Parts: sequence; structure tokens; C-alpha cells
Amino acid sequence: MYITIDADRCMGHGRCYAVAPDLLSDDEEGFVAERGQRWEVPAGQVGPAQDAVDACPEGAIALVENAPADA
Amino acid sequence: MTETHRGCPVSHTDYTGYAPIHEHYRLLDEDREKARFQYNDTTDRGYFMLQRYDDVQEGFQHHETWTTAVRSALRPGLGEPLLPQDLNGQQHVKLRRILNQFFAPAAVRRMEPMAQQRCVELIDELKPAGRCDFVKEFAIRYPTDLFLALLGLPVSDGDFFLGWSEEFFNAMLAGDTAVAAAAKKNILEYFDEAVNERRKNPRDPKEDMVSRLVEARIDDEALSQEDILTICLTLMLAGLDTTRSALGYIYTHLAQNPTDRQAILDDPSTIPNAVEEFLRLYPLVFQAGREVQEPTDFNGLELAPGDVVWLGIGQANRDPRKFEDPERFVLGRQGASQHLAFGGGPHRCLGMHLARLELKVVLEEWHQRIPEYRITPGTELTERGGQLTLPTLPLEWEV
Repeated sequence: MYITIDADRCMGHGRCYAVAPDLLSDDEEGFVAERGQRWEVPAGQVGPAQDAVDACPEGAIALVENAPADA
Repeated sequence: MTETHRGCPVSHTDYTGYAPIHEHYRLLDEDREKARFQYNDTTDRGYFMLQRYDDVQEGFQHHETWTTAVRSALRPGLGEPLLPQDLNGQQHVKLRRILNQFFAPAAVRRMEPMAQQRCVELIDELKPAGRCDFVKEFAIRYPTDLFLALLGLPVSDGDFFLGWSEEFFNAMLAGDTAVAAAAKKNILEYFDEAVNERRKNPRDPKEDMVSRLVEARIDDEALSQEDILTICLTLMLAGLDTTRSALGYIYTHLAQNPTDRQAILDDPSTIPNAVEEFLRLYPLVFQAGREVQEPTDFNGLELAPGDVVWLGIGQANRDPRKFEDPERFVLGRQGASQHLAFGGGPHRCLGMHLARLELKVVLEEWHQRIPEYRITPGTELTERGGQLTLPTLPLEWEV
């Protein structure tokens, strides 16, 4: 399972790292530090990753089964 | 036959008046379910209403061609200049970058001990009386004091500052320009003095917002004194009435729904989730406006330059297509924080994290000290439209 965070859509609502603090972190402006990245969700973090997707008011976070083709 | 304007059903709902509490949510829900898009003709310019969650979210993200030249669909001509709101594009991003760090969760957490202390002081002052007008004696005073602290000013100045800010806000909403101008003059002189003091005695710009505004450069240019004062005034206008109003609706809910109050008494760690669900259920700013700058086909709605768009925050937050049983308060609702109470896109509320902290601290500290309370029997609660607030909320408790 891979997580992607769309840097253009992320507006720093800060909901994702509030619900998934072991997966995501904040930068000093309040944006999620991992924005613009995609990476494999570590074992045991799939639940929090889904919570992060469900928490984002901008729809900036997605979970996908496979590694994106251009990753 | 349905009346239409450029192919859009017409709504005549006036959202600006006074009404019994929660009436505006009923009107918003009713309008949303009539048609996907509507044209409202109750203002001089009229406005096209985006009402469903997906449309409102997408509307906020249309920021490149729909700008804040209109900030409120209900008051498109509101003349008061605001910063950073009035900027768009890169100019907006640059100013937000300077301010963001003072409103980010990490910065807000540093304010928490002070926020708690001030909250406890205010509650301790009120508690012995066994009653208060929660709106007038607590809900406005608390965010005013924290706003002053954010500017590095003494919270005790709230004693006189509150009178000015209330006078200014009320006169502005009532369109009483002479009174508004007089109150604004007092406020700006007060800010001017504070900013000049910081020019003489700069503090650490990482910690102190006014010092940061003074030393900040955008494209190698310092911010003008006028712009700094406008920023301070904007923070005041954005942060005080909204927090007061949110507290009014939350305490009405908790007083009228003892099961929900008991849930947060039993487990105070649920308070952040409760805050999120309250923000979804009772948004005060129930709409934002935008002005269309380029011809747009928005999911079949044809918009032209100069059109005013209504982004129906209150309708999105209570859209059954998005939130199951939307009119119910569900503590721990999955996805509650997807609400759009703070807007979306680059103009999303700068103070959202401070607002969340304030609401959380109040709910924690108040319920530790005054766990049981009721609305004074015989009270008929009303709400102001435009931007929702309760003019009064009399509460009482045993002492």
C-alpha cells in the first residue's frame, strides 16, 4: 500500500499528522512535512494512513495498492 | 414553472436577518436540496450558490480564476481592506508564508499554558455568581485576551480594547460608518503604538509576530506601517467574533444535550474530536464569496467574469451526500475534520489552529470547574444571520 500527498492541494489544515502522528509530521509553517512525496506505508500504519486520507478537507492524500508507474 | 436566471433556479432566501437559533441551518439545508446550483437575487449583485460538499470544496480550489475581490457573497461591497485576504496568487502566498509560522500547530502549542491560565482566571471570576451571560462575559473576552497576547500586548488591555473592537464590529455590520470609523481610529492608534514600540525594541522575530512583521521583506521590500496595521486589524476581525460565536453554539448544544456533555466529562481526551464535530455541525461563517475572473464552466454551471459565487460552507458541512445523519452530533465521527468550516484552498483560515486550541482549552477548563449548567429557563435564543452569532446566552449553575 502506497500513500501520496499532493503538494498543490495541501493547504496546511494539519488534520493528517494530527490523526497519524507516527506516519506524518508537521513543518514549521504547519504543512505536512511529507507533502509531494509518495512512499510505501509501513506495516501497522495502514489504519492511520486511511485516517489521514479521511481527515483531509482538501482531498490531497490518497492510498493506492501499487507503486505508481512513474515512481 | 420554476423561475430561472441564466438557466439557474432562483432562490429568494435572505440570509442576513435575525431568526430563532438554528433557523439559518434549516434554510441552508432547504436551499441545498432544491437544486444543485441556484441563483440568489436578494443582494444587489446576486450570487450563484454552490451548495454540495464536493462543489464547495472544488470551488475553494478554483483560486486561480475565482478571487477574493469578493470575500462574502452576502456583502460583496464590504469596503474594509483586509490582509492577507485581499491578496491573491503569489502575493498572497508570500504574505501567508510570513504569518503561517505564528499560527502553525507548533507555535500554537507554545501558547497553550498561557491560554489555560487566562481561561482559568476568567472562569474563576465568573463561577461564584452561579450565572452569567456566557456570550458577553466569557466567550468574547477570552479570544480578545489571547489576541492581545498574540500581538505581545498585555491581556489586561482587554478591559478597554474589547469595547473598541465590539463597537467597530457591530457598527461595521450595521453599516454605521461614522461610529465604525471612530472605533477603528482608536484601535489603529493602539496598534500603531505597539508596532512603533517593537520597531524601537525588537524582540525575537521567531517568537514575536509584530517583530517579524516589522523585519519581514517581500521581494526585498519591507511591509508598510499601514499594511502591518491592516494585518493586525484583520486578525482581530477574523478571530474574535468567530470564536465567541462558536462557543455560543457549542455551549447551547452541551446545555441542551446532557448525554454529549457527560461524554466529554467522562473522557476529556475526546474533546479535540468533539471540537471537530462541533465545527462541522455549527459553522459560523456559513458562506464565503468569490468573484469570477474568467469564463468558467463549473460542472455545467456557466459563469462569466464579474459573477459572484457563494461557497456554501454550512451547506457542505451538513450535506447528507458527504456526512451520514449530518444534523446529528457524532463524537468521533470518521472524517469529521473534512468539514469546510475554515474554508479551503490557499485562503483557508489562518487562525484555525489557534481557534481549535481556544475551543479545546475552554471545554477542558470549564467542565473541570463547572460541569453542570443550564440555559436560564424562559430564554428564547436568537441568532444573527450573515455571520452567525448568538447575541446572548444566559447560563446558570449551582454554587
